[in-house]
Amino acid sequence: MANRFLYTSSHSLLRSQLQPLASSALSHRCRGLNSAAAASSGISDTKAASSRPLTTREREFLERAIRVNQAGELGANLIYEGQYAVFKSDPRLRPLIRHMWDQEVHHLDTFNKLIAKHRIRPTAMRPLWNIAGYALGVGTALLGEKAAMACTEAVETEIGGHYNDQIRALLDMLKDDKELLKSGELRELIDTIRKFRDEELEHLDTAVEHDAKGADGYVILSTVIRGGCKAAIWISSRV
Amino acid sequence: MITTLRATPFRLATASKAISISTFCFPLHRRYHSYQHPPPTSPFTPAESAILSAALRHVPLHGFSTVALSLGARDVGYLDVSVNLIPRGVFDLVKYHLVTERLRLKISVDFRRLEQSDGAENLSVPAKIRVLCVERLKANLPIIHRWQEALGVMSLAENIPASVSELAKLSDEMWFLAGCDSHDMDWYTKRAALSGIYASTELFMTQDTSADFRDTWKFLDRRFSDVKSIENITSNIATWVDFTAHAFSNVLQSKNVRFRL
Ligand SMILES: [Fe+2]
Ligand SMILES: [Fe+2]
Repeated sequence: MANRFLYTSSHSLLRSQLQPLASSALSHRCRGLNSAAAASSGISDTKAASSRPLTTREREFLERAIRVNQAGELGANLIYEGQYAVFKSDPRLRPLIRHMWDQEVHHLDTFNKLIAKHRIRPTAMRPLWNIAGYALGVGTALLGEKAAMACTEAVETEIGGHYNDQIRALLDMLKDDKELLKSGELRELIDTIRKFRDEELEHLDTAVEHDAKGADGYVILSTVIRGGCKAAIWISSRV
Repeated sequence: MITTLRATPFRLATASKAISISTFCFPLHRRYHSYQHPPPTSPFTPAESAILSAALRHVPLHGFSTVALSLGARDVGYLDVSVNLIPRGVFDLVKYHLVTERLRLKISVDFRRLEQSDGAENLSVPAKIRVLCVERLKANLPIIHRWQEALGVMSLAENIPASVSELAKLSDEMWFLAGCDSHDMDWYTKRAALSGIYASTELFMTQDTSADFRDTWKFLDRRFSDVKSIENITSNIATWVDFTAHAFSNVLQSKNVRFRL
């Protein structure tokens, strides 16, 4: 019981952290959509002149951020694909999972294009994530609807928090560059991540509404999956 | 010495091998490439660039040697002793050639202009890769009779990591310029395969005595056909993953779990 309380409180802590950013994200929603469209046009020639050079550390951060985001979205796609394979004959869950999966498809597609556009080496662990993600989706779905939702809740909590960390780091990187904060490549990246972060939080809400926390062994399930996500994020940013 | 370079090329057909080589064969620090922010500056200081580019002009006569370095330094007004400014000596001379010719590719081969002026159909990605390989190999022509010396320097133990990494960067550059947008395991397979093709053809070219290096271009084309349809190298790994996923679902079904892929 004590453990359970701990979890709910850390969960609401995350939400409250997300709130101020989430509301400012709303005002950017339109631009976020535009930038996602720009990003999905693939290799484009955005050549605004006379921006400052990026430092090696910044370029390294961006390299890792985009690689790990692609890997994460790949994992999310496979989890929903696995859940869908199990629940597709359920008229209530099928459209719900399909909707979340469709959003993940767009997320992955966007980061695939950013990988090519910004010449970033994709994660070498892809074969592993393919299996792990799919197995996690199928595995939890086979335990039942609530376990599947607990899995979604755990994963989306980690991804949402991870995206928030990135947004904060990017805003910090640009804090002295008024122009760069207004428009350009990095502004577009921030908007894209914000939009995706909001959608991950919608998935999180959906999972909670479907009684994720009522799953048998919720605490263990959630702890294990969140630990796995953290490890996967750490590995994918590097390998 | 040259065997180290020759060992990589042909046996890369299987992606699994490509991956094991990947640990040192790919531009692991392929940092974020910006379209808006200026690219990072050259790895060579202005003084180094001046000396090394002047020294390269002496390579046809004096080879990749300290003599060429000294003459180059003298040409641009430095004392002979300033050759000590060049941290890795002759290897830096080789590397300067590799880096400048790699970076020159994006200027010398402009596919957009090429396609517009010819009114030609858009070239396929493999066709572009061939154009880029030929262009880069031709950049070795002025020093081709000295290139085996360079390969010798590159394959000294302490220079191998930097040499392999430079080869990886060249391969990466070519795929980028050809407009390849791979973002999965294909990314690795393609780079490994092209590194092998390029390195072996470059080596072949140093021994080629045919007119206009006709045999070299034939050799290059044979390497491309070895790696069947280079654009669509289906990564064995992707197939394997697919197989595993299906095998996994079959196992579940055999355990009477109600589930279909
Ligand atoms: Fe996502
Ligand atoms: Fe999500």
